[in-house]
Amino acid sequence: MNPILARKGETVLLMGNEAIARGALESGICMAAAYPGTPSTEIVETLSEVAKDLKIWVEWSVNEKVAFETAYAAAISGVKSLTAMKHVGLNVAADILMSSAYAGVKAGFVVVSADDPGHHSSQNEQDNRWYGFISHIPVVEPSSPREAYYYTKESFKLSEKYGHPIILRTTTRISHTRQPVTLDEDLPESPVCKGVFEKAIDRWVLVPGHARKLKMKLLEVWRKIQYDTGEPFAKIINPGMKDVIIASGIAYSHVEEALRILGLESKVTVLKINMPVPVPRKPVEEVLRNAERVLVVEELDPVVEKQVKSISSELGFGCKIYGKEYVPENDELSLQVVYNGLCRFFDKCDPSIWESVGDLKIEPTIPPRPPVLCPGCPHRSSYYIVKTALNKAGIRNVIFTGDIGCYTLGFQKPFETQMTSFEMGGAIGVAHGLSKVVDEAIVAVVGDSTFYHAGIPGVINLVFNKGRAIPLILDNSITAMTGHQPHPGTGVTAVGEPTARIMPEDVLKAVGFETYLINPLKVKESINTLGKALEEFKSGKNIAIISRARCALEVLRDARKTKTVLPVYKVDPEKCTGCMACVNLSACPALVVDPDSRKPVIIEDLCAGCGLCASICPFKAISTANTPSQDWEKLW
Amino acid sequence: MSRRFNLVLTGVGGQGLITLGRLIGEACIRAGLNVTVAEVHGMSQRGGSVIVHVRIGEGDSPVIPVGGAHHIIAMEVLEAGRSVRYANKDTVMVVNDLILPPPLAKYPGKKDVIEALKSKLGRVYLYDAEGVSKRIMGTPISSNIALLGFSLGVNPALEDLIGKTDVEKAIEAIFKGKALELNMKVFEEAFKEGKASVGG
Ligand code: SF4
Ligand code: SF4
Repeated sequence: MNPILARKGETVLLMGNEAIARGALESGICMAAAYPGTPSTEIVETLSEVAKDLKIWVEWSVNEKVAFETAYAAAISGVKSLTAMKHVGLNVAADILMSSAYAGVKAGFVVVSADDPGHHSSQNEQDNRWYGFISHIPVVEPSSPREAYYYTKESFKLSEKYGHPIILRTTTRISHTRQPVTLDEDLPESPVCKGVFEKAIDRWVLVPGHARKLKMKLLEVWRKIQYDTGEPFAKIINPGMKDVIIASGIAYSHVEEALRILGLESKVTVLKINMPVPVPRKPVEEVLRNAERVLVVEELDPVVEKQVKSISSELGFGCKIYGKEYVPENDELSLQVVYNGLCRFFDKCDPSIWESVGDLKIEPTIPPRPPVLCPGCPHRSSYYIVKTALNKAGIRNVIFTGDIGCYTLGFQKPFETQMTSFEMGGAIGVAHGLSKVVDEAIVAVVGDSTFYHAGIPGVINLVFNKGRAIPLILDNSITAMTGHQPHPGTGVTAVGEPTARIMPEDVLKAVGFETYLINPLKVKESINTLGKALEEFKSGKNIAIISRARCALEVLRDARKTKTVLPVYKVDPEKCTGCMACVNLSACPALVVDPDSRKPVIIEDLCAGCGLCASICPFKAISTANTPSQDWEKLW
Repeated sequence: MSRRFNLVLTGVGGQGLITLGRLIGEACIRAGLNVTVAEVHGMSQRGGSVIVHVRIGEGDSPVIPVGGAHHIIAMEVLEAGRSVRYANKDTVMVVNDLILPPPLAKYPGKKDVIEALKSKLGRVYLYDAEGVSKRIMGTPISSNIALLGFSLGVNPALEDLIGKTDVEKAIEAIFKGKALELNMKVFEEAFKEGKASVGG
């Protein structure tokens, strides 16, 4: 059984994101909408797996703004709901976020913002707790995956109590850490799934006259939350000491262990904060009253620190307050980082506590291993095909603008087909802008999911405002980067039901592009097709290219399931001259060259049988090593 | 337990590290222990370095300090070399006998890395986990389970914490049918080989 459906009293191993999903289900949600984005994805993914059984509505929306709007609509009709996104996703939904604070909700509504300190999989590490201030929406922050479960439920309660949206902010280390969670409630028998939309024009229609009044109410709610909230969002541990540590979210977990190692648990008062915005007033005042020295420990920006300093100076307290002098403002915190900060603060360090044997000294050094396109990835072939065709057409020094997805990895050698990457859908807008100011040809590379997310307005603008760029849609028919979620081009919904299939070529044609569809597995044929397309481009036409083949990981999975034998390639050492064209042009991880050898070999267990290396090899030294199933090509 | 037992799992995206972390987490629940299993990897898992931090015992802070590992399971030789910063002189290390070089890179040979590891650490075990998995499963897919079995065999400190039966119950919770039966065999076989290699 799915652990998310376990009974009350059971202890299950849950990832932070699964814990949030369970907490939301226990709270009685009947709607969840999101766009996938690391580290938030598994929340709605988990819910989609159980949605049909529980008869709740769960969807992957085309972007975060639409997801927010969908879930919010339920909440204003009295149906509890959740929307989830990564930190930068909230930027996309920021517009409706602000308005939602004014109009409020009729049923519990939680917005999960999964932040990514240390930018493990993101373009920046923005601290979304600031959104709480701009929007006047409280931000709740758990200290562990177990607490993610607990504080999801508390967030729903808070939202219901004040009729206000709540931001639940997690960080990568909580989202993606598993912990035993003991479930303290069963799922509700029948959550409320039917709502009533009350036609309260003065609440839902934010014209200035209405908004002015709503703002007054909003500020009232904000102050109440600030002054009335204590436990469970703030907890004073070992009160009465002169040295005080205030720790928010996951920082608390590091502080707790570091104090134990330092043997200082009984000498320091700790204020554990699980609502960093707005910081609960009373407990902060209480610990500051007797304090001499205060250290605020939090990940990223000094959000709590600034509030504590302002409360202290407002009330004329004499304590000294520190924060970012001891705890870095960038990157994610860890036990080690916090331990180092605390032992400096208390002037009590044991340098030998974790004595590493240090790095290996070896020649050649161990090479870095950045993420790469998988063996058999169709993007690898697409890049090879497009670059070869451009070259043949005499189009040189091409600028490739890029976007967010697996294909971003094409920035690496040997492809170098991503020269920008800012945000979802950015490739096309940036290409348009560049085309107004530079002479080189521009190719805007975007994935299928990203095309639906924010690429469509870009292609419309490109045609309307007479930009000159070639949209290249790398269509692997899934949202691959985040773990294979369906989107409008897949023909299925989040819960696996068949639905309308909306094809990028139809959208592009409707907008005014002449669209060329290629199959990246057919390398030579595709290069020829693009030759013609590029002639059209040179004569002034708007062309777009769609390169379509399924994600190799999906193909391998289906091959295992259906017992289809895919081709596996091998290098014939007799014919191979060691020219390295295959290695250098494909950079396929399945092709390796032993340090003692001059010829590549193909690791059979890794090869996905795409055939790219075989079509690159000038000496026809690469061929299939097995007899594939007759209809293997259908899987792609 | 006042100090936590720190177990580092390392390898290349796609090798089954996340499943291995989950399995150990499930075993801890069955052993009545608190645990955090934190997955640390870059952009998704596409062939990049992956490291999973497993911390057993009281506390919620999920990332192991540099030099703080008690045991390291490396699913690939180069990643074993990279992970050595987490080791101190008492760390036990079990390395899968497999090298997967990143594309277009110069890299040291398998023997050189293993020798360098042995010069730093008292106890390094090179184990052909793929061999066991291929023999029983027909594919290298269960190398992760084999490395766990072998680790329990060679490291009594780890076996004291989570016993063999705890892991077996965890395997039962995660796998079904044929996969369950075969993974049990892989685990059993690797455990025995681990014991044998320390003369147990
Ligand atoms: S391209 Fe062909 S000849 Fe050149 S190294 Fe690769 S297999 Fe050998
Ligand atoms: S080795 Fe060749 S055929 Fe196999 S996945 Fe890599 S490029 Fe494709």
